[in-house]
Amino acid sequence: MSTLNVSNITDGTDTVGTSYVLNGSAKAWVNFNGTGTIATRDSFNVSSLTDNATGNYTVNLTSSMSAASYSIATGGDNYHTASYHVNAGSFTVFKYSAAHTNDDASYVFASIDGDLA
Amino acid sequence: MTQHLWERLLEAKSRLEPVQSKYRVLFEDPNAPDEPAKVLVPDPNWMACALEGGILPPIDTYQRDRLVPDGQPKEHPYAEPIGAMTEEEAIEYLIMKDIDPVVWRDYKGNRTILKIVPVELIPSDRSFRNAWKINQEADERIAA
Repeated sequence: MSTLNVSNITDGTDTVGTSYVLNGSAKAWVNFNGTGTIATRDSFNVSSLTDNATGNYTVNLTSSMSAASYSIATGGDNYHTASYHVNAGSFTVFKYSAAHTNDDASYVFASIDGDLA
Repeated sequence: MTQHLWERLLEAKSRLEPVQSKYRVLFEDPNAPDEPAKVLVPDPNWMACALEGGILPPIDTYQRDRLVPDGQPKEHPYAEPIGAMTEEEAIEYLIMKDIDPVVWRDYKGNRTILKIVPVELIPSDRSFRNAWKINQEADERIAA
């Protein structure tokens, strides 16, 4: 594969530094079915999922982040979602029902931004 | 200089078809015996990279990086990629990468706390998900 080494990208009118493009890209994302035998629909930079318990899933990264201080956005088709137990190589997503108990979800989404290791 | 692993993954995603593994890994945390059994599910895009070769770093780089403090340079992103693996080798690699060594290396007890099983042996009914344990009988099934 060829590599372009450029510090800026332009369309002739607007110019942006390539560091903005790289730093602004999601570093990993996943869309999976958290019901039944859980299964990934699509992903990037994810090595595996761990089904820990009802509504409790860990996302393991292939290329780790530099530190645990990255940002995680999560969502899905349950009442609400949270993510913690974060470290540089993985994070855990919790799905909750309206009664605020852990609940499996058909659609679970997660995307992370920050600095790669 | 070796290309960053993230860039190799980006390039691989654009050309490789995802591969759904026929295996899952069941394991229990010996430090949390009251927790249910966990199920490790290989990512299809990752499995495609493992079978292709020339993308993933050696597993020992991840193991050394476990000991590197946050914010310090890690070895695995720029390590020279390894060659193609079989699906079975890829599962073993994934166990060493994504499961705590207390499960696959350090545990000395008599319970079976880790099993590689065909996906069809994982129950699809999750009614008793929080009670799953690895069946200690010879049959490779989860017991609820």
